[in-house]
Amino acid sequence: MSILSKMLKNKQKKRQNDNYRQQQDPQKPEEQVILRSYLDNVSRIKGELGNSTDLVFREFTICQHKGTVVYIDGLADEKLICDFFIESLSDEEFDSRQEPFQVMADKAVGLGSLQIATEWNQVFDSILSGNTIFFLDGYNKAINVETKGWEMRAITEPSTQLSIRGPKDAFTETLRVSTAQIRRRIKSPNLWLESMKIGMVSQTDIAIMYLKGVANEKIVKEVKERLKRINMDAIQSSGHIEQLIEDQAWTTFPTTYHSERPDVVTSHILEGRVAIIVDGTPFVITAPAVFIQFFQAPDDYYSRFDISTGIRILRILSFYIAIIGPAIYIAGTTFHQEMIPTTMAIAIAAQRENVPFPAFVEALIMEVTFEILREAGLRLPRAVGQAVSIVGALVIGQAAVQAGIVSPVMVIVVSITAIANFSTPSFAMAIAARLIRFFMMGLATVLGFYGVMLGLMFLSIHLCSLRSFGIPYMMPIAPFNLRNQQDVFVRFPVWAMKNRPKFISKGNMVRTGENQKPGPKTKPDDQGPKGES
Amino acid sequence: MEKAKIKASQMFILIVLFEMGSAILVGLGTDAKQDAWIAILLGLAGGLLLFLVYYFLFSYYQDVPLTSYLQLITGKWIGRFLGFLYIVYFIYCAARILRDFGELLATTIYTSTPLIVINSLMIITIIYAIHKGIEVIARVGELFFAIIYLMAIGGILLVTVSGLIHLEYLLPILENGWKPVIKTFLGETLTFPFGEMVVFTMLLPFLNDAKKVKIVCFGGMILAGVNIAITVVINVASLGPELFTRSNFPLLTTIGKIQLANFIERLDVLFMLYLVVGGFFKISLYFYAAVAGTADIFKFKNQYNLSFPIGFVILFASMTIATTYAEHVKEGLHVVPIYLHWPFQIIIPFILLVIAFFRNRKKKRLARGT
Repeated sequence: MSILSKMLKNKQKKRQNDNYRQQQDPQKPEEQVILRSYLDNVSRIKGELGNSTDLVFREFTICQHKGTVVYIDGLADEKLICDFFIESLSDEEFDSRQEPFQVMADKAVGLGSLQIATEWNQVFDSILSGNTIFFLDGYNKAINVETKGWEMRAITEPSTQLSIRGPKDAFTETLRVSTAQIRRRIKSPNLWLESMKIGMVSQTDIAIMYLKGVANEKIVKEVKERLKRINMDAIQSSGHIEQLIEDQAWTTFPTTYHSERPDVVTSHILEGRVAIIVDGTPFVITAPAVFIQFFQAPDDYYSRFDISTGIRILRILSFYIAIIGPAIYIAGTTFHQEMIPTTMAIAIAAQRENVPFPAFVEALIMEVTFEILREAGLRLPRAVGQAVSIVGALVIGQAAVQAGIVSPVMVIVVSITAIANFSTPSFAMAIAARLIRFFMMGLATVLGFYGVMLGLMFLSIHLCSLRSFGIPYMMPIAPFNLRNQQDVFVRFPVWAMKNRPKFISKGNMVRTGENQKPGPKTKPDDQGPKGES
Repeated sequence: MEKAKIKASQMFILIVLFEMGSAILVGLGTDAKQDAWIAILLGLAGGLLLFLVYYFLFSYYQDVPLTSYLQLITGKWIGRFLGFLYIVYFIYCAARILRDFGELLATTIYTSTPLIVINSLMIITIIYAIHKGIEVIARVGELFFAIIYLMAIGGILLVTVSGLIHLEYLLPILENGWKPVIKTFLGETLTFPFGEMVVFTMLLPFLNDAKKVKIVCFGGMILAGVNIAITVVINVASLGPELFTRSNFPLLTTIGKIQLANFIERLDVLFMLYLVVGGFFKISLYFYAAVAGTADIFKFKNQYNLSFPIGFVILFASMTIATTYAEHVKEGLHVVPIYLHWPFQIIIPFILLVIAFFRNRKKKRLARGT
C-alpha cells in the first residue's frame, strides 16, 4: 500500500476520533470562563480535583487586592515560588495607581515563561503539569507561570546499550532533559521540535524531533498523523507508542528503533529519521527503521572501519546461529548423519547413546530450561541473581549431562546459541530470534535441512514484505541500491560515507565534503605549511 | 492487475533465477551426451528469437498482460478461452516442477518421507509469497541472487580443486553428427527452459521502464543460458558422458563426488539450498502468472484470495499427474514438449503476432486516413 492511501485512511480515522472526543466531553463555553471572585475560583479547583491534599493554596494581598497561588506540591518548584514572594511582592514599592494584575505579571518575569490564562482548561492543564497559577480578586483571568521542578533521576550511564568509546550519558525519564541532550549535539536551527499530548487521561507529553530539509517531509507527516490517531486513556512508555504506530502488527520483528543513547538518536536524526520522545521513558523511538540498522552498534562508528566491518559481519553471522543453531543440530543428527565428518559423527553417536530422548526433545528441554533461567535472572533482585547463575551453571552444564538427560554436544549447542543471541546489539531483534528458533527446531524435526531452508525462505519472504513508514524493511539489500551500501555489511571509512541514506532522507544528501581522505600532503609545494627540511 | 512496479534489475534477477531454476537440477540435454552444451546454446539462440515474438507482442500492448491482449487480438470470447487454456498450462507447469522437485528430494535424501509432505510444505511457503505480491517475490529474488552466485562460484572452485574436471570427456565433439543435437534442441532445450519465457508475458507490464524490456530480458536469458551451459560442461567433465546420461540428477552426483582434505565432503546441503531457491522461484512465477491470469479473465478485484485455491490445485495436480517418477519423466520428455510447450510457447504466440501485426497496421492506416 502506498503512503498516500495510508495517509488518506488515517485522516478519515482521525476525523472519526475527533467526533468521538467531542461527544465524550461536551463542555459549554460559559463553564470555561474564569470567575472574578478568587474564592469562587479556589472552590472550583477544589471541587474539580476532589480536594486533593497535594494541592497548595496560599493567599496573599497585593495593593489591597486579595489573591491566591495554586500549585501542586512536588510538581512545582516551591523554592522558586517562595523566592518570588520574598523578593518581589514583599517590598512595598507598589504604586496603588497601577493595575495590580499587570504588576503581578511584570514581577513574575523572574519565574519563567508566563501566560495569561482565561479559560479553565488551560488552568487545569498547567496546574497538573507543575505550573503555578495566580488568581487575583476582581479579575476574570489568571497568571500562569512555568515553575516545573520535581525530583528526577540524574543522567546516568546507559544500562542496556553499552559502548566502549562512545559518550557515557543516557536519556532520562524527563522529556525536557532528553530533548536538551539532543539539542546539545545538533546546534542547528534546522533541528525542529514539535510536541503534542497523547492519552485522554494521562495527557502524556510527546515530542517529535527531526532535521528540517533532511528528513523526508512525507515521513514526518505520516509520523504525526499516526501519533494523532492514537486514542487511548494512557501512554505509559514509548513501548506503547511503538506498538500503536507500526506498519504491520503481525510480525515478531521490530519496525521502529528505540535507544536510550543520545548519540545513537542524534545520528539517526542526522540521517533524516524522525525521533519520538515520550515523557516518562528513557527510550527514544526513531523511525523509519530498516533491518540492518539493528546490527549497527554505536562502537561501529567510533572504531576503525575494517574492525567494525569484521565485527558487524560477525554479528549477522551470530544472528543466523541464534536462529538455526539447535535446528542444525537436530537436522544433522536425525536426518543427515552422512554430512557430518565420520569421526565427529561417531563421537556424537557415542555421547548420545545414554540419552533417552530424540534430538528434538533433548534440544527442547535444554532451550526451554535456558530461556527460563534467563527470564528468572532478568527480574530477580540482584542479591538473589547470583544464586540463579550458580544453579544455571550447575544444572545446565554438569548435572544434566551426568544424569544422562542430554548429551554434552547439546550443551555446547545451547551455549553457542545463547551467546550468539546476546551479541545482537538490539534487544528487540535478539528477542525475535529467540522466538523464531523454536519454530525452526520444529521444522528441522519434520524435514531436516529442507525444513530449515523452507523456514529461512519463509523468513525472507516475511522480512521482504515488511515496511516501516512506507520504507521496505530490507531496504538497501532488497530492493538493492548500490549507492546506499556505505553502511550495510561493510562500514565504509568515515571519509567515504559521503551520502545520507537515499531511501530515508529527501534532499540535502551530501554529508561529507570532498577530499576528506586523510594522509600526508603528496606535493611539497601545496599551500599547506611547509616542512622544516 | 496488481498495482506493482518492479525495477529493471529486479526483473533481470527474476528472469535469471527463473530460467536457471530447475534446468540446472535435472539432466538437461542428456540425449546429446557430451554435446549437451551445444544443444543448450542452440536452445538459447532459439529462445532469444522466440522471445522477439513475445517482445513484439508486448510492444503492441505495453500495459496489459497476455490474458488481456489475447482478448484484444482474437476477440472477447476466443481470447478468454485461450487465456483460460494458458492459465491451465501455467498451473500444469507449476505442478510439474513441484513434482520434479519433490521427487528429487524423495528419491535422494528423504526416502522415507511421503511426497505429499515435501510438496505441501513447499507450496505453503509459495502461497505465502504469492499472497504478499510480486514486489515481495522480486525482493526475495534480490536477496537470494547473491547467495546463489557465491554458492555457485564456491561449488565450481571445489569441483576444480578436487581434481574432478576431465575436459577430455567432452571430446569428441559432435561424435554422432548434428542430428542428435538438433533433435535435443527442438524437443527439449528450446522449450525448456528458454521457451518458458512465455510466463514473462504476464509479468512484463509490471516493469517500471518499458524501454528496458529488451536489454533486461535478453541479458537475463543470455546470463542464465551461459550459466546452464557451464553447469552442464562441468557435469559432463566430471561424470563422463555415460554417467551424465544415466544419472537422474547429474548436478547432485557431481556435488556428491567433491572430496577435499577429508573434511569438505557430502555437500548435498549446498545442492539442497539451490534446489529450494531455484524451485521456489520457478514455481512461484508460474503460480503468479496463473493467479494474475485468473484474476484478469474472471475479473477478481482482489487476486490474493486466489492464491490459496490455486495453490491447492497445484499441490494436488503435482500428486496426480503421474503415478510414478518414471511415468512423470517420460511424459516430460515425450508428451509435454510436443503437445504443450510447442503450441503454447511457439505456435499460438506466433499466430497472435501475425494477427496483431495486421490489426495494428489497419488501425494505423485508419488513423492516417482520418
